[in-house]
Amino acid sequence: MVQINFARKEINCKIVYYGPGMSGKTTNLEIIHKKTPDENKGELTCIATEGDRTLFFDFMPLNLGNIMGMNTKFQLYTVPGQVYYNSTRKLVLRGADGIIFVADSAPDKMDENLESLRNLEENLREYGRDAQDMPIVIQFNKRDLPEAVPLGELQEKLNPRKIPTFEAVAKSGDGVFQTLKALAGLVIENLNRTTRKEKGTRATESLEPAPGSGRRIVTADSPPEVESSGQSGGGRIPARRPIPVSATANAEAPVNSPARRRGVAGRPALQQDAVRSSGANAGAERAELTAPVRVPSPRVSPAPDRKISRDLSAAPRRGMTVLLVVLGIVVAAAAVFFVSRG
Amino acid sequence: MTEYRAEKERWMVIEEREMERIHAVLGEFLKLSGAKCALLIDKDGYLITKHGGQSSFHDDTISALVAGSFAATKEMARLLGEEEFSVLYHQGRHENIQLTLVGDRVLLTVIFDEQTTLGMIRLYAKEAAMKLAEVMAAASAPAGAGSARLGQGFSASAKDKLDSLFQ
Repeated sequence: MVQINFARKEINCKIVYYGPGMSGKTTNLEIIHKKTPDENKGELTCIATEGDRTLFFDFMPLNLGNIMGMNTKFQLYTVPGQVYYNSTRKLVLRGADGIIFVADSAPDKMDENLESLRNLEENLREYGRDAQDMPIVIQFNKRDLPEAVPLGELQEKLNPRKIPTFEAVAKSGDGVFQTLKALAGLVIENLNRTTRKEKGTRATESLEPAPGSGRRIVTADSPPEVESSGQSGGGRIPARRPIPVSATANAEAPVNSPARRRGVAGRPALQQDAVRSSGANAGAERAELTAPVRVPSPRVSPAPDRKISRDLSAAPRRGMTVLLVVLGIVVAAAAVFFVSRG
Repeated sequence: MTEYRAEKERWMVIEEREMERIHAVLGEFLKLSGAKCALLIDKDGYLITKHGGQSSFHDDTISALVAGSFAATKEMARLLGEEEFSVLYHQGRHENIQLTLVGDRVLLTVIFDEQTTLGMIRLYAKEAAMKLAEVMAAASAPAGAGSARLGQGFSASAKDKLDSLFQ
Protein backbone atom coordinates (compact mmCIF):
# COMPACT_ATOMS: atom_id res chain seq x y z
CA MET A 1 0.00 0.00 0.00
CA VAL A 2 1.04 3.54 -0.59
CA GLN A 3 3.29 5.10 2.00
CA ILE A 4 3.37 8.88 2.24
CA ASN A 5 6.19 9.94 4.48
CA PHE A 6 5.84 13.68 4.98
CA ALA A 7 8.70 13.67 7.45
CA ARG A 8 11.12 12.25 4.88
CA LYS A 9 9.24 13.93 2.02
CA GLU A 10 8.85 10.62 0.29
CA ILE A 11 6.13 8.61 -1.47
CA ASN A 12 6.49 4.86 -2.00
CA CYS A 13 4.39 2.71 -4.31
CA LYS A 14 4.76 -1.00 -5.05
CA ILE A 15 4.52 -2.44 -8.56
CA VAL A 16 4.52 -6.20 -9.08
CA TYR A 17 5.30 -8.09 -12.28
CA TYR A 18 3.06 -11.16 -12.33
CA GLY A 19 2.70 -13.98 -14.84
CA PRO A 20 3.52 -17.59 -15.62
CA GLY A 21 7.02 -19.01 -15.30
CA MET A 22 9.50 -18.00 -18.00
CA SER A 23 7.19 -15.35 -19.44
CA GLY A 24 9.85 -12.64 -19.10
CA LYS A 25 9.14 -10.87 -15.81
CA THR A 26 12.75 -10.84 -14.65
CA THR A 27 13.91 -9.87 -18.14
CA ASN A 28 11.62 -6.83 -17.95
CA LEU A 29 13.27 -5.80 -14.72
CA GLU A 30 16.76 -6.39 -16.07
CA ILE A 31 16.09 -4.18 -19.08
CA ILE A 32 14.62 -1.44 -16.89
CA HIS A 33 17.65 -1.63 -14.63
CA LYS A 34 20.02 -1.56 -17.56
CA LYS A 35 18.47 1.45 -19.26
CA THR A 36 17.50 3.59 -16.29
CA PRO A 37 19.96 6.35 -15.36
CA ASP A 38 22.03 5.58 -12.27
CA GLU A 39 20.55 8.43 -10.25
CA ASN A 40 17.07 6.96 -10.70
CA LYS A 41 17.69 3.37 -9.71
CA GLY A 42 18.94 1.20 -6.90
CA GLU A 43 20.41 -2.27 -7.02
CA LEU A 44 18.67 -5.06 -8.87
CA THR A 45 18.37 -7.87 -6.34
CA CYS A 46 17.48 -11.35 -7.53
CA ILE A 47 16.73 -14.22 -5.20
CA ALA A 48 17.04 -17.03 -7.70
CA THR A 49 17.69 -20.75 -7.78
CA GLU A 50 20.90 -22.21 -9.17
CA GLY A 51 19.02 -22.75 -12.38
CA ASP A 52 18.49 -18.99 -12.56
CA ARG A 53 14.77 -19.18 -11.92
CA THR A 54 13.24 -16.66 -9.55
CA LEU A 55 12.92 -18.33 -6.15
CA PHE A 56 11.37 -15.58 -4.07
CA PHE A 57 11.41 -12.28 -5.90
CA ASP A 58 13.50 -9.85 -7.90
CA PHE A 59 13.53 -6.32 -6.63
CA MET A 60 14.56 -2.94 -7.93
CA PRO A 61 13.83 0.53 -6.55
CA LEU A 62 13.04 3.11 -9.21
CA ASN A 63 13.25 6.70 -8.12
CA LEU A 64 11.17 9.13 -10.12
CA GLY A 65 12.82 12.04 -8.37
CA ASN A 66 11.43 15.12 -6.69
CA ILE A 67 7.84 15.82 -7.63
CA MET A 68 6.38 18.91 -5.99
CA GLY A 69 8.67 18.49 -3.01
CA MET A 70 8.11 14.75 -2.59
CA ASN A 71 10.68 12.16 -3.58
CA THR A 72 8.53 9.63 -5.46
CA LYS A 73 9.66 6.01 -5.62
CA PHE A 74 8.35 2.86 -7.23
CA GLN A 75 9.49 -0.44 -5.79
CA LEU A 76 9.46 -2.97 -8.61
CA TYR A 77 9.06 -6.66 -7.76
CA THR A 78 8.67 -9.83 -9.76
CA VAL A 79 7.08 -13.00 -8.45
CA PRO A 80 8.20 -16.56 -9.11
CA GLY A 81 5.97 -17.81 -11.89
CA GLN A 82 6.09 -21.54 -11.25
CA VAL A 83 2.80 -22.93 -10.03
CA TYR A 84 4.30 -24.55 -6.92
CA TYR A 85 5.66 -21.22 -5.62
CA ASN A 86 2.22 -19.80 -4.91
CA SER A 87 2.78 -19.07 -1.24
CA THR A 88 5.81 -16.90 -1.97
CA ARG A 89 4.01 -15.33 -4.92
CA LYS A 90 1.20 -14.34 -2.63
CA LEU A 91 3.61 -12.83 -0.13
CA VAL A 92 5.20 -10.61 -2.77
CA LEU A 93 1.76 -9.50 -3.90
CA ARG A 94 1.03 -8.11 -0.47
CA GLY A 95 0.51 -4.35 -0.49
CA ALA A 96 0.86 -4.03 -4.29
CA ASP A 97 -0.37 -0.73 -5.73
CA GLY A 98 -0.23 -1.84 -9.35
CA ILE A 99 0.33 -5.02 -11.36
CA ILE A 100 1.91 -5.73 -14.74
CA PHE A 101 0.79 -9.13 -15.98
CA VAL A 102 3.42 -10.53 -18.35
CA ALA A 103 1.80 -13.05 -20.67
CA ASP A 104 3.74 -15.43 -22.91
CA SER A 105 2.76 -15.31 -26.60
CA ALA A 106 3.87 -18.89 -27.29
CA PRO A 107 0.88 -21.04 -28.31
CA ASP A 108 1.70 -23.78 -25.81
CA LYS A 109 1.71 -21.24 -22.96
CA MET A 110 -1.91 -20.16 -23.25
CA ASP A 111 -3.12 -22.47 -20.50
CA GLU A 112 -0.36 -21.27 -18.19
CA ASN A 113 -1.29 -17.66 -18.92
CA LEU A 114 -4.91 -18.35 -18.06
CA GLU A 115 -4.00 -20.26 -14.92
CA SER A 116 -1.71 -17.45 -13.79
CA LEU A 117 -4.44 -14.85 -14.36
CA ARG A 118 -6.86 -16.92 -12.31
CA ASN A 119 -4.22 -17.31 -9.64
CA LEU A 120 -3.65 -13.54 -9.56
CA GLU A 121 -7.33 -12.84 -8.98
CA GLU A 122 -7.53 -15.53 -6.34
CA ASN A 123 -4.49 -14.25 -4.46
CA LEU A 124 -5.80 -10.69 -4.59
CA ARG A 125 -9.14 -11.89 -3.24
CA GLU A 126 -7.35 -13.51 -0.32
CA TYR A 127 -6.00 -10.07 0.54
CA GLY A 128 -9.56 -8.74 0.30
CA ARG A 129 -8.81 -6.91 -2.91
CA ASP A 130 -10.48 -6.96 -6.29
CA ALA A 131 -8.53 -7.08 -9.55
CA GLN A 132 -11.15 -4.76 -11.06
CA ASP A 133 -10.29 -2.01 -8.60
CA MET A 134 -6.55 -2.16 -9.11
CA PRO A 135 -4.33 -0.57 -11.73
CA ILE A 136 -3.39 -3.53 -13.93
CA VAL A 137 -1.96 -3.73 -17.44
CA ILE A 138 -1.10 -6.77 -19.54
CA GLN A 139 2.09 -7.16 -21.49
CA PHE A 140 1.99 -9.67 -24.35
CA ASN A 141 5.63 -10.66 -24.38
CA LYS A 142 7.70 -12.63 -26.90
CA ARG A 143 5.93 -11.14 -29.88
CA ASP A 144 8.95 -12.03 -31.97
CA LEU A 145 8.24 -15.75 -31.80
CA PRO A 146 7.48 -17.03 -35.31
CA GLU A 147 4.53 -19.02 -33.99
CA ALA A 148 3.30 -16.29 -31.60
CA VAL A 149 -0.43 -16.42 -30.94
CA PRO A 150 -2.23 -13.65 -32.91
CA LEU A 151 -2.94 -10.53 -30.91
CA GLY A 152 -6.69 -10.81 -31.39
CA GLU A 153 -6.73 -14.27 -29.87
CA LEU A 154 -4.64 -13.16 -26.89
CA GLN A 155 -6.98 -10.23 -26.31
CA GLU A 156 -10.02 -12.45 -26.52
CA LYS A 157 -8.73 -15.09 -24.15
CA LEU A 158 -6.67 -13.11 -21.66
CA ASN A 159 -8.29 -9.70 -21.64
CA PRO A 160 -12.07 -9.95 -21.41
CA ARG A 161 -12.18 -6.80 -19.31
CA LYS A 162 -10.35 -4.76 -21.94
CA ILE A 163 -7.64 -3.38 -19.73
CA PRO A 164 -4.65 -1.72 -21.39
CA THR A 165 -2.32 -4.14 -23.16
CA PHE A 166 1.12 -3.78 -24.67
CA GLU A 167 3.13 -5.90 -27.04
CA ALA A 168 6.72 -6.51 -26.13
CA VAL A 169 9.91 -8.35 -26.83
CA ALA A 170 11.39 -7.97 -23.38
CA LYS A 171 14.78 -9.47 -24.23
CA SER A 172 15.42 -6.69 -26.72
CA GLY A 173 13.69 -4.03 -24.64
CA ASP A 174 10.80 -3.43 -27.02
CA GLY A 175 7.66 -2.46 -25.16
CA VAL A 176 9.21 -2.77 -21.71
CA PHE A 177 9.22 0.92 -20.85
CA GLN A 178 5.86 1.61 -22.49
CA THR A 179 4.30 -1.01 -20.24
CA LEU A 180 5.90 0.31 -17.07
CA LYS A 181 5.14 3.92 -17.95
CA ALA A 182 1.47 3.14 -18.51
CA LEU A 183 1.13 1.23 -15.24
CA ALA A 184 3.06 3.84 -13.26
CA GLY A 185 0.75 6.48 -14.73
CA LEU A 186 -2.30 4.50 -13.60
CA VAL A 187 -0.88 4.13 -10.09
CA ILE A 188 -0.27 7.86 -9.86
CA GLU A 189 -3.70 8.53 -11.32
CA ASN A 190 -5.19 6.28 -8.68
CA LEU A 191 -3.41 8.27 -6.01
CA ASN A 192 -4.61 11.49 -7.55
CA ARG A 193 -8.16 10.22 -7.83
CA THR A 194 -8.16 9.49 -4.15
CA THR A 195 -6.92 13.01 -3.58
CA ARG A 196 -9.92 14.48 -5.32
CA LYS A 197 -12.30 12.16 -3.53
CA GLU A 198 -10.82 13.22 -0.23
CA LYS A 199 -11.45 16.84 -1.09
CA GLY A 200 -15.12 16.08 -1.56
CA THR A 201 -15.20 16.46 -5.32
CA ARG A 202 -16.28 13.80 -7.73
CA ALA A 203 -13.47 11.88 -9.32
CA THR A 204 -13.26 12.70 -12.99
CA GLU A 205 -10.60 11.38 -15.28
CA SER A 206 -8.95 14.25 -17.07
CA LEU A 207 -7.66 12.06 -19.87
CA GLU A 208 -8.91 13.35 -23.18
CA PRO A 209 -9.94 10.95 -25.91
CA ALA A 210 -7.99 10.97 -29.13
CA PRO A 211 -9.73 13.21 -31.66
CA GLY A 212 -12.24 11.18 -33.59
CA SER A 213 -11.43 8.03 -31.71
CA GLY A 214 -14.92 7.66 -30.41
CA ARG A 215 -13.58 6.85 -26.97
CA ARG A 216 -15.43 8.45 -24.19
CA ILE A 217 -13.92 10.07 -21.18
CA VAL A 218 -14.23 7.81 -18.17
CA THR A 219 -15.71 9.53 -15.17
CA ALA A 220 -16.88 8.44 -11.79
CA ASP A 221 -20.20 10.10 -12.61
CA SER A 222 -20.65 7.72 -15.50
CA PRO A 223 -22.56 4.53 -14.85
CA PRO A 224 -20.37 1.55 -14.11
CA GLU A 225 -19.28 0.02 -17.37
CA VAL A 226 -18.55 -3.45 -16.16
CA GLU A 227 -21.74 -5.33 -15.68
CA SER A 228 -22.13 -7.10 -12.42
CA SER A 229 -21.76 -10.81 -12.87
CA GLY A 230 -21.68 -11.76 -9.24
CA GLN A 231 -18.12 -13.01 -9.39
CA SER A 232 -14.81 -11.35 -9.56
CA GLY A 233 -13.24 -11.18 -12.93
CA GLY A 234 -16.38 -12.23 -14.70
CA GLY A 235 -17.65 -8.80 -15.75
CA ARG A 236 -18.79 -8.47 -19.32
CA ILE A 237 -18.03 -5.31 -21.20
CA PRO A 238 -20.83 -3.54 -22.96
CA ALA A 239 -20.34 -2.21 -26.46
CA ARG A 240 -19.78 1.37 -25.38
CA ARG A 241 -16.73 0.41 -23.40
CA PRO A 242 -13.61 2.15 -24.76
CA ILE A 243 -11.86 0.20 -27.46
CA PRO A 244 -9.18 -2.16 -26.18
CA VAL A 245 -5.86 -0.48 -26.39
CA SER A 246 -2.90 -2.19 -27.90
CA ALA A 247 -0.06 0.23 -27.82
CA THR A 248 2.67 -0.22 -30.32
CA ALA A 249 6.01 -0.99 -28.84
CA ASN A 250 8.35 1.53 -30.33
CA ALA A 251 11.38 0.19 -32.09
CA GLU A 252 14.01 0.99 -29.55
CA ALA A 253 17.67 0.38 -30.17
CA PRO A 254 18.29 -3.28 -29.40
CA VAL A 255 20.20 -3.82 -26.23
CA ASN A 256 22.44 -6.68 -25.39
CA SER A 257 20.60 -9.55 -23.89
CA PRO A 258 20.88 -9.75 -20.15
CA ALA A 259 22.90 -12.41 -18.42
CA ARG A 260 19.78 -14.28 -17.41
CA ARG A 261 18.73 -15.03 -20.95
CA ARG A 262 15.78 -17.35 -21.17
CA GLY A 263 16.78 -18.84 -24.51
CA VAL A 264 13.83 -17.55 -26.52
CA ALA A 265 14.46 -17.92 -30.20
CA GLY A 266 12.97 -15.29 -32.42
CA ARG A 267 13.30 -12.41 -34.76
CA PRO A 268 15.04 -9.24 -33.61
CA ALA A 269 12.31 -6.80 -34.48
CA LEU A 270 8.76 -6.54 -33.30
CA GLN A 271 6.12 -7.74 -35.67
CA GLN A 272 4.67 -4.43 -36.65
CA ASP A 273 1.90 -6.00 -38.71
CA ALA A 274 0.46 -7.59 -35.61
CA VAL A 275 -0.26 -4.22 -34.11
CA ARG A 276 -3.86 -3.24 -34.18
CA SER A 277 -3.64 0.38 -33.22
CA SER A 278 -1.95 3.11 -35.19
CA GLY A 279 1.65 2.23 -35.86
CA ALA A 280 2.97 5.77 -35.44
CA ASN A 281 4.81 6.47 -32.24
CA ALA A 282 2.56 9.42 -31.52
CA GLY A 283 -0.41 7.16 -31.99
CA ALA A 284 1.00 4.70 -29.55
CA GLU A 285 1.58 7.40 -26.99
CA ARG A 286 -1.96 8.61 -27.45
CA ALA A 287 -3.22 5.09 -27.16
CA GLU A 288 -1.52 4.82 -23.79
CA LEU A 289 -2.95 8.09 -22.60
CA THR A 290 -6.44 7.21 -23.72
CA ALA A 291 -6.30 3.76 -22.24
CA PRO A 292 -9.44 3.07 -20.26
CA VAL A 293 -8.80 3.87 -16.66
CA ARG A 294 -10.91 1.85 -14.34
CA VAL A 295 -12.87 3.76 -11.79
CA PRO A 296 -13.23 1.73 -8.62
CA SER A 297 -16.53 0.00 -8.76
CA PRO A 298 -18.81 1.37 -6.07
CA ARG A 299 -20.48 -2.01 -5.74
CA VAL A 300 -17.38 -3.74 -4.47
CA SER A 301 -15.40 -1.80 -1.93
CA PRO A 302 -18.16 -0.36 0.26
CA ALA A 303 -19.69 -3.78 0.79
CA PRO A 304 -18.13 -4.46 4.21
CA ASP A 305 -19.18 -1.01 5.47
CA ARG A 306 -22.71 -1.52 4.27
CA LYS A 307 -22.86 -4.83 6.06
CA ILE A 308 -21.66 -3.22 9.24
CA SER A 309 -24.20 -0.41 9.03
CA ARG A 310 -26.99 -2.92 8.46
CA ASP A 311 -25.88 -4.90 11.47
CA LEU A 312 -25.74 -1.79 13.60
CA SER A 313 -29.23 -0.62 12.59
CA ALA A 314 -30.63 -4.11 13.19
CA ALA A 315 -29.40 -4.24 16.77
CA PRO A 316 -31.83 -1.63 18.25
CA ARG A 317 -34.71 -3.26 16.39
CA ARG A 318 -33.91 -6.60 17.94
CA GLY A 319 -33.75 -4.95 21.39
CA MET A 320 -37.18 -3.36 20.95
CA THR A 321 -38.69 -6.67 19.91
CA VAL A 322 -37.34 -8.44 22.98
CA LEU A 323 -38.58 -5.60 25.22
CA LEU A 324 -42.11 -5.81 23.74
CA VAL A 325 -42.24 -9.58 24.18
CA VAL A 326 -41.13 -9.29 27.81
CA LEU A 327 -43.71 -6.55 28.46
CA GLY A 328 -46.43 -8.72 26.87
CA ILE A 329 -45.55 -11.65 29.10
CA VAL A 330 -45.61 -9.44 32.23
CA VAL A 331 -48.98 -7.95 31.30
CA ALA A 332 -50.42 -11.40 30.53
CA ALA A 333 -49.12 -12.78 33.85
CA ALA A 334 -50.57 -9.83 35.74
CA ALA A 335 -53.92 -10.31 34.03
CA VAL A 336 -53.98 -14.02 34.88
CA PHE A 337 -53.02 -13.19 38.48
CA PHE A 338 -55.79 -10.62 38.96
CA VAL A 339 -58.41 -12.79 37.21
CA SER A 340 -57.50 -15.80 39.36
CA ARG A 341 -57.86 -13.70 42.54
CA GLY A 342 -61.32 -12.70 41.51
CA MET B 1 -9.49 -14.08 5.26
CA THR B 2 -10.44 -11.69 7.99
CA GLU B 3 -6.83 -10.98 8.73
CA TYR B 4 -6.11 -10.07 5.13
CA ARG B 5 -9.13 -7.79 5.00
CA ALA B 6 -7.75 -5.81 7.89
CA GLU B 7 -4.81 -4.91 5.65
CA LYS B 8 -7.06 -3.58 2.94
CA GLU B 9 -7.08 0.08 2.08
CA ARG B 10 -4.67 1.05 4.81
CA TRP B 11 -2.03 3.53 3.80
CA MET B 12 0.78 4.68 5.97
CA VAL B 13 1.03 8.43 6.44
CA ILE B 14 3.87 9.66 8.60
CA GLU B 15 3.97 13.21 9.86
CA GLU B 16 6.85 15.18 11.34
CA ARG B 17 5.38 14.83 14.81
CA GLU B 18 5.37 11.04 14.62
CA MET B 19 8.84 10.97 13.13
CA GLU B 20 10.19 12.98 16.06
CA ARG B 21 8.68 10.50 18.49
CA ILE B 22 10.07 7.57 16.51
CA HIS B 23 13.58 9.00 16.56
CA ALA B 24 13.36 9.75 20.26
CA VAL B 25 12.53 6.09 20.94
CA LEU B 26 15.17 4.76 18.53
CA GLY B 27 17.83 7.10 19.92
CA GLU B 28 17.19 5.93 23.46
CA PHE B 29 17.14 2.30 22.31
CA LEU B 30 20.53 2.57 20.59
CA LYS B 31 22.03 4.26 23.65
CA LEU B 32 20.79 1.58 26.03
CA SER B 33 21.37 -1.48 23.87
CA GLY B 34 24.69 -0.58 22.29
CA ALA B 35 23.42 -1.45 18.79
CA LYS B 36 24.87 0.32 15.75
CA CYS B 37 21.82 1.08 13.72
CA ALA B 38 18.04 0.72 13.87
CA LEU B 39 15.67 0.79 10.93
CA LEU B 40 11.91 0.93 10.98
CA ILE B 41 10.53 -0.95 7.99
CA ASP B 42 6.99 -1.40 6.73
CA LYS B 43 5.99 -5.03 6.12
CA ASP B 44 5.35 -4.01 2.51
CA GLY B 45 9.10 -3.42 2.21
CA TYR B 46 9.34 0.38 2.56
CA LEU B 47 11.82 2.06 4.84
CA ILE B 48 10.08 4.36 7.30
CA THR B 49 13.20 5.76 8.87
CA LYS B 50 16.70 4.90 10.02
CA HIS B 51 18.60 5.92 13.13
CA GLY B 52 22.23 5.37 13.92
CA GLY B 53 25.59 4.75 12.28
CA GLN B 54 26.52 5.03 8.66
CA SER B 55 25.71 1.90 6.73
CA SER B 56 27.18 0.53 3.54
CA PHE B 57 23.97 -1.14 2.42
CA HIS B 58 21.28 0.31 0.24
CA ASP B 59 18.31 1.25 2.38
CA ASP B 60 15.59 0.32 -0.12
CA THR B 61 17.17 -3.04 -0.83
CA ILE B 62 17.66 -4.02 2.79
CA SER B 63 14.07 -2.96 3.51
CA ALA B 64 12.68 -5.15 0.73
CA LEU B 65 14.79 -8.10 1.84
CA VAL B 66 13.91 -7.71 5.51
CA ALA B 67 10.21 -7.58 4.68
CA GLY B 68 10.61 -10.59 2.37
CA SER B 69 12.49 -12.53 5.01
CA PHE B 70 9.85 -11.81 7.61
CA ALA B 71 7.04 -12.69 5.21
CA ALA B 72 8.67 -16.04 4.42
CA THR B 73 8.88 -16.96 8.09
CA LYS B 74 5.26 -15.97 8.51
CA GLU B 75 4.33 -18.82 6.20
CA MET B 76 6.60 -21.08 8.24
CA ALA B 77 4.84 -19.96 11.42
CA ARG B 78 1.47 -20.75 9.89
CA LEU B 79 2.58 -24.27 9.14
CA LEU B 80 3.38 -24.62 12.84
CA GLY B 81 0.01 -23.19 13.83
CA GLU B 82 1.37 -19.79 14.83
CA GLU B 83 0.09 -16.58 13.30
CA GLU B 84 3.58 -15.19 12.83
CA PHE B 85 6.92 -15.02 14.64
CA SER B 86 7.47 -11.82 16.57
CA VAL B 87 11.28 -11.91 16.70
CA LEU B 88 13.79 -13.07 14.09
CA TYR B 89 17.54 -13.17 14.43
CA HIS B 90 20.24 -13.57 11.79
CA GLN B 91 23.75 -14.11 13.07
CA GLY B 92 26.84 -13.34 11.03
CA ARG B 93 30.53 -13.54 11.85
CA HIS B 94 30.70 -9.89 12.85
CA GLU B 95 27.36 -8.28 12.06
CA ASN B 96 23.96 -9.48 13.20
CA ILE B 97 20.39 -8.47 12.49
CA GLN B 98 17.40 -8.81 14.74
CA LEU B 99 13.85 -8.14 13.58
CA THR B 100 11.15 -7.33 16.13
CA LEU B 101 7.52 -6.98 15.16
CA VAL B 102 6.05 -3.59 16.05
CA GLY B 103 2.26 -3.65 16.19
CA ASP B 104 0.94 -5.53 13.18
CA ARG B 105 2.56 -3.74 10.29
CA VAL B 106 6.08 -2.56 11.09
CA LEU B 107 9.42 -4.25 11.78
CA LEU B 108 12.10 -2.84 14.05
CA THR B 109 15.33 -3.94 12.42
CA VAL B 110 18.44 -3.73 14.58
CA ILE B 111 21.96 -4.12 13.26
CA PHE B 112 24.63 -4.81 15.87
CA ASP B 113 28.10 -6.31 16.29
CA GLU B 114 30.34 -7.66 19.08
CA GLN B 115 30.11 -4.41 21.02
CA THR B 116 26.89 -5.65 22.60
CA THR B 117 25.02 -8.89 23.22
CA LEU B 118 21.90 -10.47 21.86
CA GLY B 119 20.36 -10.36 25.34
CA MET B 120 20.75 -6.60 25.58
CA ILE B 121 19.25 -6.16 22.12
CA ARG B 122 16.27 -8.37 22.93
CA LEU B 123 15.60 -6.68 26.25
CA TYR B 124 15.58 -3.12 24.96
CA ALA B 125 14.06 -3.94 21.54
CA LYS B 126 11.00 -5.31 23.28
CA GLU B 127 10.55 -2.09 25.23
CA ALA B 128 11.16 0.05 22.17
CA ALA B 129 8.71 -1.99 20.08
CA MET B 130 5.94 -1.35 22.59
CA LYS B 131 6.54 2.39 22.49
CA LEU B 132 6.83 2.43 18.71
CA ALA B 133 3.61 0.45 18.31
CA GLU B 134 1.68 3.36 19.84
CA VAL B 135 3.29 5.83 17.46
CA MET B 136 2.79 3.68 14.39
CA ALA B 137 -0.87 3.08 15.18
CA ALA B 138 -1.41 6.77 14.52
CA ALA B 139 0.36 6.52 11.16
CA SER B 140 -1.93 3.84 9.75
CA ALA B 141 -4.61 5.63 7.78
CA PRO B 142 -7.39 4.87 5.30
CA ALA B 143 -6.53 4.95 1.61
CA GLY B 144 -6.30 8.53 0.40
CA ALA B 145 -5.36 10.04 3.73
CA GLY B 146 -2.78 12.74 3.30
CA SER B 147 -2.82 12.65 -0.46
CA ALA B 148 -4.78 15.91 -0.69
CA ARG B 149 -1.71 17.69 0.59
CA LEU B 150 0.30 16.55 -2.39
CA GLY B 151 -1.28 19.29 -4.47
CA GLN B 152 -3.47 19.29 -7.56
CA GLY B 153 -0.57 19.35 -9.96
CA PHE B 154 1.11 16.29 -8.49
CA SER B 155 -0.27 13.80 -10.99
CA ALA B 156 0.61 15.93 -14.02
CA SER B 157 4.11 16.59 -12.71
CA ALA B 158 4.65 12.91 -11.99
CA LYS B 159 3.57 11.98 -15.52
CA ASP B 160 5.96 14.57 -16.95
CA LYS B 161 8.72 12.94 -14.96
CA LEU B 162 7.73 9.52 -16.26
CA ASP B 163 7.82 10.88 -19.81
CA SER B 164 11.27 12.34 -19.39
CA LEU B 165 12.62 9.23 -17.68
CA PHE B 166 11.23 6.73 -20.18
CA GLN B 167 11.45 8.72 -23.40
